[in-house]
Amino acid sequence: MKLLLRFPSYLHEEPYTAEVILETGAKINIDRANVDAVRGELIIDVPRDNVERVASLFREKGVEVRKLMKLIAWDEARCIHCGACISVCPTSVFKFDTSWNVYLEEEKCIRCEVCVKACPLGALAGVE
Amino acid sequence: MAETEKSIEEINERIEDGSVRVVTADRMSEIVSELGAEGAAKEVDVVTTGTFGPMCSSGVFINFGHADPPIKMQRVWLNDVEAYTGIAAVDAYLGAAQLSEDKGTEYGGGYVIEDLVAGKPIEIKAIGYGTDCYPRKEIETTITLDDLNQAVMLNPRNAYQRYASATNSTDRALYTYMGTLLPNYRNVNYSGAGTLSPLFNDPDFETIGAGTRIFLCGAKGYVVGMGTQHDPVNSFGTLMVAGNLKEMSVGFLKGATFYGYGVTLYVGLGIPIPVLNEGIAKKTAIRDADIVTEVLDYGVCRRERPVVREVTYEELKSGVIEIEGKEVPTSPLSSFYMAKKVAEELTSKIERGEFFLSQPVERLPGDTVFKPMKEKKGLPLVKDMMIREVKTISERASIAEAAKLIMETQSTHIPVISGDEKLVGIVTAWDISTAVAKRHEGLAEIMTRKVITADLEEPLELVIRKLESYNISALPVTDETKKVIGMVTSDEISKLVGKRKRWQWKLRI
Repeated sequence: MKLLLRFPSYLHEEPYTAEVILETGAKINIDRANVDAVRGELIIDVPRDNVERVASLFREKGVEVRKLMKLIAWDEARCIHCGACISVCPTSVFKFDTSWNVYLEEEKCIRCEVCVKACPLGALAGVE
Repeated sequence: MAETEKSIEEINERIEDGSVRVVTADRMSEIVSELGAEGAAKEVDVVTTGTFGPMCSSGVFINFGHADPPIKMQRVWLNDVEAYTGIAAVDAYLGAAQLSEDKGTEYGGGYVIEDLVAGKPIEIKAIGYGTDCYPRKEIETTITLDDLNQAVMLNPRNAYQRYASATNSTDRALYTYMGTLLPNYRNVNYSGAGTLSPLFNDPDFETIGAGTRIFLCGAKGYVVGMGTQHDPVNSFGTLMVAGNLKEMSVGFLKGATFYGYGVTLYVGLGIPIPVLNEGIAKKTAIRDADIVTEVLDYGVCRRERPVVREVTYEELKSGVIEIEGKEVPTSPLSSFYMAKKVAEELTSKIERGEFFLSQPVERLPGDTVFKPMKEKKGLPLVKDMMIREVKTISERASIAEAAKLIMETQSTHIPVISGDEKLVGIVTAWDISTAVAKRHEGLAEIMTRKVITADLEEPLELVIRKLESYNISALPVTDETKKVIGMVTSDEISKLVGKRKRWQWKLRI
């Protein structure tokens, strides 16, 4: 499961992510990282069994944690199944089935949103 | 002759009595390999083709009817998208690629066409210059498709037989009419329906010609004649087609935006091919593996883009092709799912006796080619205006030496070279100030290593685009050994524009 972590600026100095990994032993994958002067934002992928523990440890340290249920919004009615999204996606979220219908493996999405620009029909959108 | 010969009249009789046998083009190769061309020609009467792709060269002729008092529209906008009015008073042509005045590439002609077909209200604004017969100078109203006298789709160039696919060798993403092209050959985009392509199933235009009845966006349409840029000699045939917008359905046409490029219209177009003889049966057996196209490098912004490799539609449709030893993912821009739907819809219309085949009144030319534009004056090239006296500096030089050189030469950019005189970096006056402030010593620590360069024969227009896209003000000109032979700066370009007025519009600065 993907978690969105928001680090307030005063937490920047501490290696919290490393601490959580060491404490839980969870194999966390960092999908995206955005750090600036005001705050840091990470999207991490956590194995299902560890999600609750990892989330509560981050919360204890003062990090805001949100579970990301929806990673990308796909307007299926608008989609014409061209597949323009397929080759630009770094994590192969989009696939064709045997009758050339596009389907999504949303759990792979890292919210880079390159597909949003690439979709000619405007059928893909980022989610907050 | 043992050849099976059928006539279009015979096929139409079978459509009439319900005994017609229709198959979609993607099934023909199997049928022909099973029954042979002669057997297939006996078994199958009609092969249906289909394509559903972005076709910018599309649009609609509209007649609004007269207002009271009447106006001769000099300019007209539909939902803020301008249509061409250089025809009679209340006639206009709305092009699919026209952009909205206030929304830019987010909305445009293609979307207006889709909204019209969807029955949505459209805001009309028009201005006129006022004449004795058309005194009115302004009008604002709201219309729907039903309110128009005529709305006739007339697409100057549709149904490209095949299309070159696109990739990008440069180190930045390109946003093109071939979609998003990631840097360093990281993806390939392609277009065209492959085995379902109408013109690839009748490459010699034996049955498709002026007057052929076709499926156009859910309605019956007709082939007007050859399309613009019709180039059958190189298997790039095209069609000009027309149909009644009022009969079209929103499921078979869609407005769309190619990010960074503009607006277009996805057109669903299908053509029935009468299997009159075994020769035609054989041609409709074409497979994706038989259709070859090229992968072009859109990183090179010239008319003749370099061919990276040749590729078949079968390879493109596999999802991955190889470029320079690496596996590169591919994306279609046209929809095979919808192309099949077009062919299937056409099939069922024929089977239900709602769609009859027509004899073309004229064959399409088979010998035209697509010529480049004739230009009277050549564009200025890099070699026409570059600075030839360029001082360079060694990568082993100190910051102080670089500062001295900048001061002496009064230039803001100094190319940095290696021992064998190859370009390895560039330093600017700004870099030197930063270096002093941060107490760096050697040039190699602070120079920019990724240098954007130009070639001697490159048009200045492209150099200006580079200056703009990378937000830089100078670039070195190098030869094939990476030796610096000149420099192009935005200052020099400005001076040139001052001197030669006629270039000004081209240079846009």
